[in-house]
Formats: sequence, C-alpha cells, structure tokens
Amino acid sequence: MDDRRFPLRIVDGRRLSEEYRKALKPGALIVDEEGRARRLPRFFYEVDSWLTATELELAPNFNLHEFIQTDVREAPVLHGFPRYVPCALVLLAGALSIFRDRVGTLVHVAANGGYRSPAHGRSRAASTHCWGTAANVYQIGDELLDRPEVIEKYRQVAQQSLPHVYVRSYGHGPAFADDHLHLDLGYVTVVPRDAAGEEEWGPGEESS
Amino acid sequence: MLKQIVDDIAATAGANEVAVGFYDWETATAWSLRGERWFHAASTIKVPVLLALVDAIAAGRFEWESWVHVRNRFASRVDAAPFRIPRERDADSVVHAEVGKLMRVRDLAERMIVASSNLATNLLLDLLGVRETRESIERLGLGGIDVARGVEDQRAFDGGLNNRVTADGLLALLRLLHEPRGFDAAAATQVVDVLGRQELTGALKLGLPEGVRARARVAHKTGEISTAAHDAGLVFLPDRKPFALVVLSEWPAGNGNRQAALGNVVAAIYRHLIESAEGAV
Repeated sequence: MDDRRFPLRIVDGRRLSEEYRKALKPGALIVDEEGRARRLPRFFYEVDSWLTATELELAPNFNLHEFIQTDVREAPVLHGFPRYVPCALVLLAGALSIFRDRVGTLVHVAANGGYRSPAHGRSRAASTHCWGTAANVYQIGDELLDRPEVIEKYRQVAQQSLPHVYVRSYGHGPAFADDHLHLDLGYVTVVPRDAAGEEEWGPGEESS
Repeated sequence: MLKQIVDDIAATAGANEVAVGFYDWETATAWSLRGERWFHAASTIKVPVLLALVDAIAAGRFEWESWVHVRNRFASRVDAAPFRIPRERDADSVVHAEVGKLMRVRDLAERMIVASSNLATNLLLDLLGVRETRESIERLGLGGIDVARGVEDQRAFDGGLNNRVTADGLLALLRLLHEPRGFDAAAATQVVDVLGRQELTGALKLGLPEGVRARARVAHKTGEISTAAHDAGLVFLPDRKPFALVVLSEWPAGNGNRQAALGNVVAAIYRHLIESAEGAV
C-alpha cells in the first residue's frame, strides 16, 4: 500500500512573522467587486526552495513551480524562500489536470497567473488568485490565447470538462479576459487534517 | 557655414526639417541648429526611458535582476482602453517569444535599446510609470524631452499625445551620460555600454569615414517612423576625446533618401569637428 505523505509543511499564516503576515494577510476579510466580504486563506503550505517547487507534482502534468512564478510586483518577502501558498492550490492543479486531459496537450500557466499574494501589485478586489484557486492560461500546446475565437474555443472545453469552474468570456474589462483563459474555483479555502484547530476571531484580528 | 551645408543636404534630399546638435569634448565646443524645435521622438524616446530606469534602480524601486511578466497588453494613456504591440510592427521578436513568461529588467532594457524592442519599452514604462519617468527626467534637469505615453498607443496618437524630443534635449541627456553631474557615474557607464551594443545601424555610423568607422565606438539610439528619422549618440574615437551628436529630421512619408541624407549631415559635422580640432592645435 502506498502511504506517501504530502511533503509540504502546513503553516498557520497567523503564526508567521509580521513581514509575511503583511503580505499574505492570512484570514483577513477583503471586499470583492460586488462589495461582498471574502475571507482570505489562513493555512498555507511552506515551500522551502525553488528545487522543491520544480520537483513537486501537485497533480498529473502540473508541478508547484508553475503556479508561483511572480514578478517584481509581488511582495519582496515572497521573492525568496521559504514561500507560502494557500492549501487550495492543490485543488486548482487537480482541475487543470482534468482540463489538460481534455485538450490533450500542454497547458501553460502565465507568470503572475497562479498564486499571487494580496500584496501583489496586480491583485485587486479579492482576486481569486489570492486564494490560489485561479489560473491564467496563456498558451495551450502551440496556440497563444490572444484571439477571441481561441479563447472562446478553450472556454467551452473548460466549461464542459469542469462545470463547477468559472471561466471568463473573451472581452475587455474586469470580468473578461482578452489575452488568456481565466479559470477559477471561487473563494475556496482548504484546511488540511493536520492543520491547527479553528479559534474565535477576535476584534480586529481579521486585518492581520 | 555648417548651417548652410546641413540645410543644403536637407533641401536636396527633400526633408521637411532637420535639426542638429553636437558637443565636442576635444574642443569643448557646442553647436545646434533648430535645437529647440520639437520632433516626434520615435524610438529615441527609449533612451530617456532607460535613464529613468537606471534612476529608479538607484532609488531602490527594483533591481536589474528583478523579474517582469512579459504581457503584450497595455492601457492607453487616453482612456485606459487595452492595446497591443503588433509583432509584425516590432523591430525585435525576442521579447514577443517570451509572452506569458518572465524576463529580467536587465534583459528588457537591453532589448529595448539594442534591438529597439517596442514591447520591452512598454513593459518597462508600465513598470516605471509615465509620471515617475517624467519626474526622473525633470529631476535630472533635462528639458526638451517629453515622455507622454507607451509605444503604439494609437488612441493617444490620434489624440495628439506623442513622445517628443528636441536636439538640445537629447544632447543634454548625452552630455549627462558622459559627465554625469547629479547622476551616478557607474549607472551612466552602464547606460553608455548598453547604447554601445546597438545592433541597428544609423546615421552616426553611416556618416563616419569608412576607416574611422571601424575604429569608432558609437553608443547611440536610432528612431524611425514613416515621417521621421533620427539618430543620437556618443562617438568614441581612439585618438581624441568623444563627441555627442544628435540628428533629428522630418520627412514626407515614403521618402527613400533619409538615411543617406542624414549620413551626409553626420559626415559634414565630423569633417567640421576634425578641422576645428586641427585648427585649435
């Protein structure tokens, strides 16, 4: 019997140093485009090195490093290691793996298109990227997703293979995408069995 | 005399307007013709963007090794409508091949200058901010340079919002690079080194006598659109101090004499500088 354990350490974000807490805002409430409050993830996996990220397969055909390639707009503390990713990232990788099977070729997640912290310069209005549950796919096989017909084609494939996943239509503006395929699972948080127990939220704690 | 030569070359070639500026460290002489006249900057605007980039790095905003997401999508300065850099209209394909991935600031700066990459320029300008770029240029005391928008922002162009330069403005920038008052000397050297790796041939090289061209190091940036052709740079020769030279010009669209004419202007100025230096001995 295979008794492999997931190799990444589970961390309660509220116990991290202030520098990390400022970037990750674990458990904080932020407001989405519709004015609804959304609570950010509290539990994270600790990634100790780029090597670990490149070697760790989260789901068939998707390794961790594909989801954490961020640029200069990310909080400086998250440029190096250890780095922290929301535990729900494994669900996103699983969904993309199903999508990848359906398209039958490589699915490329864009830089800044996997997990981004709330402190990232491109993270706005409760972006699901801050939950680790959204992916911006910029290329499938050799095809760049920068034309309406290509985005629409793969949007339909995604909706058929992953009916529970939200996929943006082609278009300009905040609810659309015009140079990638945006897929997301929504505001999903994951609390692994080994995570610390929940506790009452004290006054003001949500803005940690 | 020199004015007449330049004007004759321009008139013969059919140019609408030619402006020239030079500073020679060998003879400590400066001269300009229509030095305050504004021109569409074309790709010469990439030099002020590079200068602002170096300034931002010196201020600790980011580093040469910082990563930038290569995304071909920009917001117009006029109304934030999205636009792209058409690959077929960009002199450089290297950065386009990296769309979706990450490139280092250092490599984007290199492509912006040596291959005149429009995509790299917009990525860096997006990172810097137009307002912050203008503030850098102003803080460095450079007039005659107006960074207004990214490259290929058609809506801004239609609205008359263009990047502009004067010969005096670019000349002052080049002088700042060689005698970096108020600007970090090591950073200035880096900028000159990048300009020196220029892959595109412009009027500055064309206009030097063949024997001199082989020995010269020309750190420069060209600019070409349908109605403008420019070149601006520093010319280092082994047996004398360098000179800075800027040639800006406007043309009717489709004129095929541009490069040869600008080369002739540079040749005339080179002869003038050499004769002046010999006369000064």
